[in-house]
Amino acid sequence: MIKILAFVSSLLFFSPFSYAYVGNDDYAPNFQLLNTYGEEISLNSFKGKRVVLEWTNHGCPFVAKHYKTGNMQETQNFAKAENAVWLTIISSAPGTQGYVSPEEANILTSTRNASPSHVLLDPTGTVGQMFEAKTTPHMYILDEKGLMKYQGAIDDAGGRGFMFKDLMQSNNYVKEGLKELKDGKSVTIPITKPYGCSVKYAS
Amino acid sequence: MLKKLQYNFCKNITKFLFLCVVITGNPALYASEEHYASNSTITLISNTEAAQPGDKFILGIRFELEKDWHTYWKNPGDAGEGASIEWKLPKGLTASEILWPGPDRIPVDPLMTFGYNDKVVLLTEISSDVEANFPLNVQAKVSWFTCKEICIPQEGLVDITLAQGNINSSNNNQEIYEYLDAVPTQFKQNYRIEKLDDKYFIQADINNGEHFESMYFFPNEYGLTSYTQSQTYEKNQNSFILEIEASKAKLNLDKFEGVLETSNIYGKDYFEISYPLKINKVGDEDQSIILLIIFAFIGGLILNIMPCVFPILSIKILRFVEYSDNSSNQTYKFGLFYTLGVVLSFLLIALALVALKSSGEVIGWGFQLQYPLIIAILFYLFIALGFMFMSNLVLGSQLGQLSVAAQVKNESLESFLTGILAVIVASPCTAPFMGSAIGFALLQPSVNSIFIFLSLGIGFALPYLILSIKPSLLSFLPKPGAWMETFKQFMAFPMWASALWLLWVLSGQVDQDTVILVLIGGLLISLALWLLEKNDTEIQFIKWLVRLVVLLILSISIWILPTSYSEVNQQNQKDISYSEELLSEYRKNNEIIFLNFTADWCITCKVNERVALNSEKVEALITQKNIKYMEADWTRKNEAIAQKLEEFGRSGVPLYLLYPPKGEPIILPEILTEDILLDYLNEIR
Repeated sequence: MIKILAFVSSLLFFSPFSYAYVGNDDYAPNFQLLNTYGEEISLNSFKGKRVVLEWTNHGCPFVAKHYKTGNMQETQNFAKAENAVWLTIISSAPGTQGYVSPEEANILTSTRNASPSHVLLDPTGTVGQMFEAKTTPHMYILDEKGLMKYQGAIDDAGGRGFMFKDLMQSNNYVKEGLKELKDGKSVTIPITKPYGCSVKYAS
Repeated sequence: MLKKLQYNFCKNITKFLFLCVVITGNPALYASEEHYASNSTITLISNTEAAQPGDKFILGIRFELEKDWHTYWKNPGDAGEGASIEWKLPKGLTASEILWPGPDRIPVDPLMTFGYNDKVVLLTEISSDVEANFPLNVQAKVSWFTCKEICIPQEGLVDITLAQGNINSSNNNQEIYEYLDAVPTQFKQNYRIEKLDDKYFIQADINNGEHFESMYFFPNEYGLTSYTQSQTYEKNQNSFILEIEASKAKLNLDKFEGVLETSNIYGKDYFEISYPLKINKVGDEDQSIILLIIFAFIGGLILNIMPCVFPILSIKILRFVEYSDNSSNQTYKFGLFYTLGVVLSFLLIALALVALKSSGEVIGWGFQLQYPLIIAILFYLFIALGFMFMSNLVLGSQLGQLSVAAQVKNESLESFLTGILAVIVASPCTAPFMGSAIGFALLQPSVNSIFIFLSLGIGFALPYLILSIKPSLLSFLPKPGAWMETFKQFMAFPMWASALWLLWVLSGQVDQDTVILVLIGGLLISLALWLLEKNDTEIQFIKWLVRLVVLLILSISIWILPTSYSEVNQQNQKDISYSEELLSEYRKNNEIIFLNFTADWCITCKVNERVALNSEKVEALITQKNIKYMEADWTRKNEAIAQKLEEFGRSGVPLYLLYPPKGEPIILPEILTEDILLDYLNEIR
């Protein structure tokens, strides 16, 4: 009987959720990636905490502006204070912009004064495509159960003229989402258009 | 590395001529060498060298990029960003929004972006009023991205001076008008947008003589249509349809807006599309899900008394009567195992359907009754069950001895298997009874449809479970005795009635010979079961010989099962299939006739059917006015239909003909809406 139950529950996990796209209120698929210290990090190990996923590429001007102005770091600090996990993911393929060795990634983290929980390396782009990450930056928030609650841009500064905009004046969707989840509310703006450079997947 | 800032102001070349400023980026902000990987030049150009107060003229920012680099459209697609222009205008001038020429598709595997390769001119219309003081100088601060694999943000300041005088043609006039031609204009044709399932359909009339080879729709906003999936263009006699996958990100936009690119031998044209969309309110959906779950539960309860299921359950439940006055009863165990069997079966069905759905299979409930093979197997099952009720055969004892696996004569296991069997025998009854409800459940997100099926299963198992926990509820029944045997035998009849009904369904799908074969199969099954029952001899050899014969007979009955549709069925299934004879007969009787030429592969036909023909109002009106509805199915080549189409100058579908009682038929538009169709149907007499 237990065998049958195990079989059925494995079906439950595989068949309906094997989509590349993770819709809101769907369970985020689990993944394992190496962090910049060579440790294997599994998404499921963060169950019970809110998780922010940030797709990044340090050579992308959009990402550069968010780090240069301190907007990304401030959002990371906010998440940290909220006791949320922050995973920065690099899906650039080797030889493309944004691909870095673990050491280079660590230098970027320290020189930019960033504070992610982990920087994860996804050179095959598997995890990026699992979430259909399109741009850098592209942000996701998962709730304590691992359900997708927000996906899209970090803030509303996207659109034409981004380079002229003051990011400190923008409306930060990630902070809002984290706050609303903490208060047990549903996220008011659950999907926005992600903006930035294309993720440099292997082609 | 030495970073060089290129800043070449070319101001006073000639008195009133065009000035260009080329600035490549701002290295202070974006310190990286890629900055210099590409040079792009911008120039501010005008269609005229002079103007006077009150004039309108066109300015353009010309972007010249290095080869194979691109910049973006107003909606950049999956990544990037379109250019922005900040005008510094003297008193008396106002600028329009950017007039974006139609973009190209620029794939960045696996993503898709929209923009311009190598070169583009972004136009702006400038209006002047009496306060304008010519000659004057106009400045524009431009920021843009040039991208290849990587993206480089750039900004520049450009200006131009216009003399006072009559509007004339500058050297750049022609270039400006070339780009102006590519700026989308309003789409003049009558068109509509339909959303069915996860697809959008743009349908529009085509003017006489107009011919498009291909089409592509560029959405204005994120969250409307998929950027990467290809779009399907289908041309009909005087209309076309474009099928576009909806975006997976659901933003509930209230408008379908974007640019339609059409191409023919003369090149590409661009048209503005804007069409209101119905918005789904999320709140309503949540409510209906709870309602659906409740309905599924009630449906499950009702299933218990359907003729397919009731006999099996009632006979099982009657066995509780024997325990009803027994204080130490174990029946609740059977109830739990039965419930487990039922719920797991429903869960498996739900998962299978969800998996099929996610693999793109279009499936509705009742599909099990679309396959002759499944119907025939169910027919055998009902015949066999009826026979077992009539005789003394007990499922799982004698039959069970045939297989090693079932030697476990465990009542709990039997209850579990009964649960599975109950779901199987229930399946033909659920189809007509709950087909639409389950069909709706399947349209729900995966998780929801699983809950609906679970609720159905729980409702289905509940009566049995309650009685197993409290068999004393049955104490109103007489003491166990001969009446139970009589009752059991009687219950064979609803089983056989169900078998009869299945045979009727089957007869609509296969030819007569196949139906007879299935009936013979039923006879063989009965014979095999009878042999099993009578096989109580002590002589082992004969016992095994008889079993061998039984096995042989069963194999034959399985071998003759129908495995495919026979050609006949589709024609015979409904009497609405087109035939010239039927048509002339109707004509003779002065009937109103609606003749629908359709095909499975015709997207326009399917959309028209979903939107207009199958609407409740239309169906009601057809019934009310006693309009004869006929379908000419052109899915496969058919000479008679081809001739009829030719008669009306057509070489393909769709074609809709409405015959008045007397006189020539009316040819209906290719794009049907409920209103148009109702108007035609109302007026015909």
